[in-house]
Amino acid sequence: MTKHLLKLVWNRKRINFLITVEIFFSFVVLFGVVLAAVYYVDNYNQPLGFTYENVWRVAVEMNERAEGSHSSQNTQTDLNAPKEPTEEADPPAAATFKQLMAAAKEFSEVESVATGTVSPYGDGTDTSAIGDDSNLIRYGVNLVSDDYPQVLGLTLTRGRWFGKEDDGANYRPVVINEKLSRDVFGELDPLGKELRRPNLPPKQEEEKSTPMRVVGVINEFRKDGEYTAPENFLFQRQLLNNQMRREPNCLMLKVRPGTTAEFEEKVIKRLQAVAKDWSFEIEPVTKMRETANTFRLAPLIAGGLVAGFLMLMVAMGLTGVLWQNVTQRTKEIGLRRAKGATARRIHKQILAELVIIATFGLIFGVAAVVQFPLLDVIGDINSRVFSLSIVISLAVIYALTVICGLYPSWMATKVQPAEALHYE
Amino acid sequence: MIQLEGIEKVYRTERIETVALTNINLAVNEGEFISIMGPSGSGKSTLLNVIGLLDVPTGGKVALNSKPVTSYSDRNLARVRNEEIGFVFQTFHLINDLSVVDNVEIPLLYRKGISSGERRKLALRALDRVGLHARVHHFPGQLSGGQQQRVAIARAIVGNPRILLADEPTGNLDSQMGDEIMDVLRGLKENEKTTVVMVTHDPRQAEKTERVVRLFDGRQVS
Amino acid sequence: MLKNYLKVAFKVFLRRKFFTFISLFAISFTLIILMVATALFDNVFAPQPPEDKADRSLYVMGIRLQGPESQSTGPAGYVFLERYVRTLPNVEKVSLYTTPNVVYSFWKGGKIKSFLKRTDGEFWQIMGFQFLEGGPFTVEDEKSANFVAVINEATRRKFFGDESAVGKMIEADGQQFRVVGVVGNVPIFRINPFSDIWVPISTSKTNAYKSQLLRGEFQAAILAKSSADLPGIKSEFESRLPGVEFPDKREFNTAIGGADTMFEFASRMMIPSQQMESQPRKLLAIIISLMVLFMILPTVNLININVSRILERASEIGVRKAFGASSWTLVGQFVTENVLLTLIGGVLGFFGSQFVLKLIADSGLIPYAEFHLNYRFFVYGLLTALFFGLFSGVYPAWKMSRLNPVQALKGAGGSR
Repeated sequence: MTKHLLKLVWNRKRINFLITVEIFFSFVVLFGVVLAAVYYVDNYNQPLGFTYENVWRVAVEMNERAEGSHSSQNTQTDLNAPKEPTEEADPPAAATFKQLMAAAKEFSEVESVATGTVSPYGDGTDTSAIGDDSNLIRYGVNLVSDDYPQVLGLTLTRGRWFGKEDDGANYRPVVINEKLSRDVFGELDPLGKELRRPNLPPKQEEEKSTPMRVVGVINEFRKDGEYTAPENFLFQRQLLNNQMRREPNCLMLKVRPGTTAEFEEKVIKRLQAVAKDWSFEIEPVTKMRETANTFRLAPLIAGGLVAGFLMLMVAMGLTGVLWQNVTQRTKEIGLRRAKGATARRIHKQILAELVIIATFGLIFGVAAVVQFPLLDVIGDINSRVFSLSIVISLAVIYALTVICGLYPSWMATKVQPAEALHYE
Repeated sequence: MIQLEGIEKVYRTERIETVALTNINLAVNEGEFISIMGPSGSGKSTLLNVIGLLDVPTGGKVALNSKPVTSYSDRNLARVRNEEIGFVFQTFHLINDLSVVDNVEIPLLYRKGISSGERRKLALRALDRVGLHARVHHFPGQLSGGQQQRVAIARAIVGNPRILLADEPTGNLDSQMGDEIMDVLRGLKENEKTTVVMVTHDPRQAEKTERVVRLFDGRQVS
Repeated sequence: MLKNYLKVAFKVFLRRKFFTFISLFAISFTLIILMVATALFDNVFAPQPPEDKADRSLYVMGIRLQGPESQSTGPAGYVFLERYVRTLPNVEKVSLYTTPNVVYSFWKGGKIKSFLKRTDGEFWQIMGFQFLEGGPFTVEDEKSANFVAVINEATRRKFFGDESAVGKMIEADGQQFRVVGVVGNVPIFRINPFSDIWVPISTSKTNAYKSQLLRGEFQAAILAKSSADLPGIKSEFESRLPGVEFPDKREFNTAIGGADTMFEFASRMMIPSQQMESQPRKLLAIIISLMVLFMILPTVNLININVSRILERASEIGVRKAFGASSWTLVGQFVTENVLLTLIGGVLGFFGSQFVLKLIADSGLIPYAEFHLNYRFFVYGLLTALFFGLFSGVYPAWKMSRLNPVQALKGAGGSR
């Protein structure tokens, strides 16, 4: 039977070729959208690592930002003057930040306060890397003050968070996420180990910084939210004294549940009173999350809508073509009926032919999309998401073709044997 | 009326040559009703198509009304078909997307200088002549085989052609309906002096014509 | 004859409602997507007010600093732009301005959130804003740090309702400004001019911006004397980058960037590359191939339906030929049918695009979005649809009408 069907499909190759081409492109387009959707869903199902409810972010603009890590202390920077960050009094910015935190804590609505250099769902990113060029491990960085885990509800899986006990230590305490721990240390216990760039000359390394030592590991911290892929992350301790390497750019406030938007104005006015020259912008993290996720999902939704309409169009086109095929083949079908094929059999035959045609298109389709990772068209998408997307796309296209074939093949079963003779 | 001289028709494909007609000489007079008979594949339909200028012979000459049409351009052939010839087919070949009266109007569409009102009038008159007054706004699919063939005949005669070519007009009909169709054709011959050439393999119907041409393997045998 | 063609065409459409519907759907849907995509593209890139001199403008929208351990990408510092951009030769004008900041105004017991951009006086000479009332602030205003502001229409509504605003005071980010002009809303995608409130740079709370060296919050617009000078300006700017002085070479030692058109800048940001190169051709190629990829499916669909319809009408072609239609008459008929179908699809697509664009604009996803149908692309899209319609509908019909009618009547050229 299969051989018979294959022969039939082959003999009608011109019209079937067009259907095959259509199915091929449908598959490729659908796969693109499904891949994005599966990727998002897969990310969404993984732990976020922090809580965003009742957390407000106050973006702080000091209006006196200058270069990189040693900055801020003097407003008239001479390009060539070497800077000595140590053995100075606390920079004014550090003092101001301390005052701001104290001012925020005075409110009974505020449960805890911390500073940070990047904010969840915020625009900025800060990345760094360790390892050598052949095995460069990139990670996101956030310099935070000691109360940060309380504000954002971070949970440690191992070790401790940094705090007062690290004051004056000859290392920089860091907390990393499990993924970074795995990437750097494998199965080894990261606690107490140092992170350093091996390819830097030791002297320069020494000059540049005291080593980073892992004191704790958190499960996850996905700064850009639930739709992004989990990435390596590292928290460094923010010092608000003469050791300050970089100023924070936001205050994170954990407020009591039920605190309303009116409180925003009170906070801003209070902070403004502490630092007249600075600018503050306050926004609940839930709102930032909404905005960030809307912008992240918008292209997917747009793509999904377009793909949906394309599929609808293809489905209608296919139904039309198949319908037309059946009408043209009334004679053949009638003859089969006359020779004793049951209606059910005809139904099955038409659908089977269709599935064979679809399979041709899909074989080429799969062959095409598996080139994507090889050609590096898509970024770091893991093979599980990739293969799941292929399976889903295949299922959808098969379902679509079969649904499109149902009505025409049902029509075919209505062909009476007499009609075959009629056309003879 | 119709003169065929030494007509040859060979179908060539890449590998094989199929000879469909060899040396056919035939003259049909005005107002004559003749039938062409022969077994399947003997070339009778091909002959009819050659007469109807639907098919170009590979050799020989065709003349209609003593005008040699063999060398006519596509445009002129179309004009001759439109004005001089009417066709009736075994499987009717009505356009299912058009209503009965629209189907009948088709030949008039390709004739210059006929208004749509006139077309409609002529089409209805032609339908009247084949005995179909009602159902003119139905679609072909809603009619019986006999009725469909009447529509096809109406379409063939709506432009008052001098020649009517019928390819097994009764082949898809039961004998009663077939007889009715034969009556219509005979009536045309009698009342309008239309020349009728009919292909058939039904001897009973062939008997009703004035002359029978027999073909076997592309050759004229009588 | 044409009247007849049209009549027959309409009859065919009505009898074959399903096929007609699919064809119309495919044509209008494809046009809608094409129109929406080009409208979005134009919204960002097309030279339209206020960037009406885009053909001789370049922008330095950001730089990347690289060092042994880290890199930093974003707007440039004031000093950097003053030193390396303001001094470029062959330039008519240079303007420096900040990226827009979110600021709050506590106004009559409520809170108004706006974007605030600090600019110099040249900004208003390079950008062709349309003023609803008043006018821009001047170079002089900026020099003497006058607290004046230009606001957009939406901001005027928020502060003053329907009243005029010029001469009145507004409060933003704790500072008081006198409104001197009101302009129409600028879409957020026009990154360079976009803001709600524009005030002089010198009104900044501190003069710390004057010490922003490399990275900061400033961007620059360069207006060349003529578009012929643009390549020279670009290469001059790039040749200056290796000479940039770094305060601490252990932190950063390389500056990457360029004076770009908006599209070149987009290609820098969107195509990942180590050196953040400007690759406008590559971006254009990517956009075009995405568009082609998108259009393939509707095209194949259209061809499929058309071929299928023509095959179905093989016997019709035979009949019409038998009754006196010449090949050309038949081609005329099918051309009419296809052109008519495409035109109807075009009209539907036209109104559909307007509707979808209005839907996007009303969704508020893109503040002050203002979309215009790109008629040139509409015509391109329509011509493409027409081409494929004719190619797939008329070509087989023509071939079939060249066939002798006998075969057409048999339905040959048919199934295989």
